[in-house]
Amino acid sequence: MKGTAWVLAAGIVLTVQPAPPAAASGERWFADVTEAAGVAVPHTNRSFENPYADIMAGYTALGAAAAVADFDGDGFEDLFVTDSAQGSRNRLFRNNGDFTFTDVAAAAGVAAGNDAANASADALWLDYDGDGRPDLFVVRFGRNQLFHNEGPDAAGNVRFREVTRQAGLDRYANSITAVAFDYDRDGRVDLFVGDYFQPVNLFKPDTPRFFPESFETANNGGGLTVWKNLGGGTFRDTTKEAGFALSGWTLDLGHADADLDGDDDLYVACDFGTDRFFVNNGDGTFRDATKEAIGIDTKKGMNAEWGDYDNDGWLDVFVTNITDEYMREGNFLWRNNGPGPDGKVTFSDVSRETGTHDTGWGWGGKFFDYDNDGWLDLYVVNGWVSAGPQSYVPDVFEMIVRPGVDLADARSWPPMGKKSLSGYQKKRLFHNQGGGLFKDEAARHGLDATRDGRGIAVADFDNDGRLDLFVANANNLPFLYRNQSPASARWAGFLLEGRDGNREAIGAVVKVTAGGRTQLRFVDGGNGFAAQSSRRLHVGLGTAERIDKLEVLWPSGRRQVLENLPAGRYVRLVEGDSK
Amino acid sequence: MKRIACAVLLTLAVCTVLPAAARAGTPAEAAAALPRLEAAVAADPENLRAASAYRMAVIQAGEYDRCIAFFEKLVTDHPQAANAWLNFGFAYVDKIPAAGSITQVILANDALTRFSKSIEIRKSWLALFTRGNSYLYWPVIFGRAPLGVADLEEAVGIARREEKKRRVYARSFIALGDGYFKTEQLDKAKAVWQEGLTLFPGEPQLQARLARSGNAEELGTYINEQLDPNKRVDTDLLPLVEGE
Repeated sequence: MKGTAWVLAAGIVLTVQPAPPAAASGERWFADVTEAAGVAVPHTNRSFENPYADIMAGYTALGAAAAVADFDGDGFEDLFVTDSAQGSRNRLFRNNGDFTFTDVAAAAGVAAGNDAANASADALWLDYDGDGRPDLFVVRFGRNQLFHNEGPDAAGNVRFREVTRQAGLDRYANSITAVAFDYDRDGRVDLFVGDYFQPVNLFKPDTPRFFPESFETANNGGGLTVWKNLGGGTFRDTTKEAGFALSGWTLDLGHADADLDGDDDLYVACDFGTDRFFVNNGDGTFRDATKEAIGIDTKKGMNAEWGDYDNDGWLDVFVTNITDEYMREGNFLWRNNGPGPDGKVTFSDVSRETGTHDTGWGWGGKFFDYDNDGWLDLYVVNGWVSAGPQSYVPDVFEMIVRPGVDLADARSWPPMGKKSLSGYQKKRLFHNQGGGLFKDEAARHGLDATRDGRGIAVADFDNDGRLDLFVANANNLPFLYRNQSPASARWAGFLLEGRDGNREAIGAVVKVTAGGRTQLRFVDGGNGFAAQSSRRLHVGLGTAERIDKLEVLWPSGRRQVLENLPAGRYVRLVEGDSK
Repeated sequence: MKRIACAVLLTLAVCTVLPAAARAGTPAEAAAALPRLEAAVAADPENLRAASAYRMAVIQAGEYDRCIAFFEKLVTDHPQAANAWLNFGFAYVDKIPAAGSITQVILANDALTRFSKSIEIRKSWLALFTRGNSYLYWPVIFGRAPLGVADLEEAVGIARREEKKRRVYARSFIALGDGYFKTEQLDKAKAVWQEGLTLFPGEPQLQARLARSGNAEELGTYINEQLDPNKRVDTDLLPLVEGE
């Protein structure tokens, strides 16, 4: 196990990895190890070959994504990384255990994702059949792919088999995001897929009218599709019966139990129009609670990340929008007010007060506690197109103010050419100052690069208790940042295993009490734009030596409490195990 | 006394309407006052006080589209009413804080078109100051600041030529300096603010800028705060015409 000590004690498996030398206080806490780790493979945007190709090029700088899972069960987190150019390969980086990676995508059978009719946009690991092995869902402009993890072959190498058609998921859609959770609590993990463009064949469009009809109220996008897991490896489209009828320009989906009533609710981040918040009714249907919970907005929602940043016991939402000299939308940091007297949950935007309002043209944003101080920090990447010195802004605004312009017609839009649009923007690492304020520490820690960031995958790739970052950049090399912060702060990590078909325990909520503070974490099924982070739960404990109490609320409804657990270890928690 | 003069100068309808607008405390009350205010404006399309009172009530009631439609009809009926066009432009400006970021640009552009029409009909200090100042709210990337400087130089020229130095003219000196600053002419900005302060001693906005003029970054932050398009611009014309 490459230096990892495994301890089996009373149903609880502990792993401990000796920490590498830590940076001295005041030094950079993140080291760019992209090259050394062997993951320096650039993403390339898809270029189109159709009458609207020049115009489309400016609006499809997407598809750089990353998803984390331990696909081979060796105790180290691996990475699936997408490309988008025609003929390019997606990558499956197997973690060698020493902070180097080996691309095994071709041998595993998951490399081919980008052909003349499909371009990869995102990826999601999920164990849809509950066999204990993460399967892979590749989100594409075109037809999505589902790969079943077949486990190791005779040589010990894990193989995948594409099962999209058998699973009932073979449909044309310009998908851009996906999350998995058990919305109807039948014990099986379902799929929620967000679609950006309507299902026009982008590679050979038969109409020029497939662009957003409005900058603020567009309803001619792809919306979202709910795929109910029927068991037996098949899915069925239950979008309408689940209560969804969306046609916005979905960019991200984020699920969490906002009201802690035992079922997961859904935030839909939309470009060119209002975000949506859906409350799970607990009977396999959802209710659109947008107006009462967050209100109608006109912004460009791009990320839906949930986390309890203020440790008040309620999960909050971080949404990126566009903030630049020419468009000052500002992000949303939706503080969860909890359910009111009527039982309905509401949110208040506290982005200005907390200092998280302006992150440029924001994309992925992830909560994580990088210094293990017990407060969730926030990393945000940004930038649309970093190209030549000329700005595309005047061109697009000239179009906007043109009387009677038909925005839905791609031909109305000026080609971007070599111009830039909100490019070369510095990323932000917001250090949580105690629940009410964040301070940007990106420059200090070497995380303020200016590539056009898209997805952020957070994982502890070396099992040292410090969370590392993988950043997928559009049309550029990614970043792999190794966390080398001082190892003095305590931490704990948990890998949950459910008893039923939802074996990954997606949706499980954990409350950790240590050092007089209770923190809430949950197992998410792929939240955050263009990325999936580790499903291990990580908790910074500050100076606390032990966990006083650990309470798990399993998706099945079962409640489990453990007490007096040691810090500094990963613990596998199996549902129903009283220890 | 000025109120009395107003009663003499304006139509009876307007002077009875103004107190009603002032009383309109709630959005519902403001909405209820709109028909009477519209009648007053329709009766005297060039009347800045009446139109301004109407727009202030519109803001309270949140009836922006109604206001735009009203002025659209008014200028159709009175195409040579320069002040009607001016207020038509302000009707778009008034809606900006209630709109999304992109619609804000469209509204600002619509407002400029109406301000230009007003200037085309009659080049007044107020119209030049209004359009010139509007240009300064646009982000630098759109290259509108030089257009604003041109208008504001004309407005300041009018102010310089006027024998009676109305207090409101100070605004054109402030704005022209802001325009110079936005076009990277700090020395000219300081000079025009200083000139303004000589003509209008104690003017706090001029003092505030000059106090910061030694630190370009601080000055820039201050000016950008003043010209933040997300903050509601005070388009009440009453303080401007009161000085007449």
